[in-house]
Amino acid sequence: TMLPLLLLLLPAAHGAVENVGYRPLLTESPVLEGLTTASTFVLDQPRCAFDKYSNADIWLVVALEKTATTFNNSVGPGTPESAFQNFPASVPAYMTLNATLANYPCPKPSGEITVLRVGSETSCAEDAARPTCNGPLPGPGPYLVKFLALEGSEPVAETDWSKPIMLRTAKSPNSISTMDGGHSAGMIALTTILSILFAILLAGLVAMLIFWGSDSCGGSSTFSKPEVVTVRRYNTHHVYDQPAARL
Amino acid sequence: MAKSDDCIHILQGLLIFGNVIIGMCGIALTAECIYFVSDPHGLYPLLEATENNDIYAAAWIGIFVGFALFALSILGIIGIIKSDRTLLLVYIILMLITFAFEMASCITAATHRDFLTPNLFLKQMLERYQKSEPANNNDKWMIEGVTKTWDKIMVQNHCCGVLGPSDWQEYTSAFRLTHSDADFPWPRKCCVMDAQGLPMNLDGCKLGVPGYYNSNGCYDAISGPVNKHAWGVAWFGFAILCWTFCVLLGTMFYWSGIEY
Repeated sequence: TMLPLLLLLLPAAHGAVENVGYRPLLTESPVLEGLTTASTFVLDQPRCAFDKYSNADIWLVVALEKTATTFNNSVGPGTPESAFQNFPASVPAYMTLNATLANYPCPKPSGEITVLRVGSETSCAEDAARPTCNGPLPGPGPYLVKFLALEGSEPVAETDWSKPIMLRTAKSPNSISTMDGGHSAGMIALTTILSILFAILLAGLVAMLIFWGSDSCGGSSTFSKPEVVTVRRYNTHHVYDQPAARL
Repeated sequence: MAKSDDCIHILQGLLIFGNVIIGMCGIALTAECIYFVSDPHGLYPLLEATENNDIYAAAWIGIFVGFALFALSILGIIGIIKSDRTLLLVYIILMLITFAFEMASCITAATHRDFLTPNLFLKQMLERYQKSEPANNNDKWMIEGVTKTWDKIMVQNHCCGVLGPSDWQEYTSAFRLTHSDADFPWPRKCCVMDAQGLPMNLDGCKLGVPGYYNSNGCYDAISGPVNKHAWGVAWFGFAILCWTFCVLLGTMFYWSGIEY
């Protein structure tokens, strides 16, 4: 029995980091269009998770999924071992977004949007003098994040690692096909009908010109121009005879 | 003979009536096409950049055809009243030429309308909007036209991109080359603006909080006027041509019956 007791005491002697049982997650409410972009993502603030640690600095640790396990909690923030500028080339994770419990009051007031945008600081991304820069993420990930509370330089509490966060990758616009619009039914109908009408008219014109001068077509409807023909009344023999007969 | 005279007078009356309608429709066509060519919605630069601006060519043809129809209808009326074979022959031949031009205009407008899909505008917006290195003078002019037009459309219609702000995220673009993704997930013009033309809440816009950015796509705002333009030219022209067809057939019949 002594052995298990010793083992239990050992972690306590080293200043164990308490797991506060919170898992960081991407913001679910409100629905954000820019929840993940190509180089940023948006986390919920860790409200009501570090309530017991009013003296601690709460840092965000960002790591790649495959290197997260190699991260050591004792690496201090603001050092080259946790500098944003060295991630992911020479360090497995970086620490950024320093805050205290005062920044994350509990409970969260309703109606307020309480988020952390990871990757929003572009001005210090190349500045080695700012190792805690919240710079844009260098690739699509997947990333894991967790919050770490430090008192002084001792880590005292941490959250779970989040689920893997995948960022968006953009396609080239050359992949957009612009040739897939077919011909609409209206256009086909319009073309067909107009072509037929035009063909009929041309045929009519040809018929007109061929039969120009021949009376064979339209015989009964031949009519005269108004002023050419005048009808003259003839006095027939018959009319003059009648008065003579009366006498 | 009297009955035949009546028939002739009726035919003359009908043809004159037909020509009057053609004349009025010609003027209406000219007016409609002038309206479309004047581009009240300012969408011409977008079409010009897609090199697909033939619906404007169709409208230009429509202007001249409308005028020709008006002039020819007067010629037709004179020819019918005088029953002059030569005049009417000239009328018929010129009308057939005008018919052919108007047919070309209608078919062009209808065909090219079918090319104007969302993908066409999307590709062109991604390739030209705020592109910073023009390849030549022509490219520079198109870039300016596209950029100004999109800025105007997005602000006036409270929309973003062709299908939505995600267009800027899903595809790389000329815009993305000069504007980093973290600072500009989408252009500033997609943000809800205040009275001074500045974003109301820049952080809210960058995050994509509903109410601080325009979440709709602009395709409806573009395709609405363009469709009206194309269908107006195509179908009104088609209606005029159908009517003209009937009048021309009647005129040919009348012509063949005139004694020479």
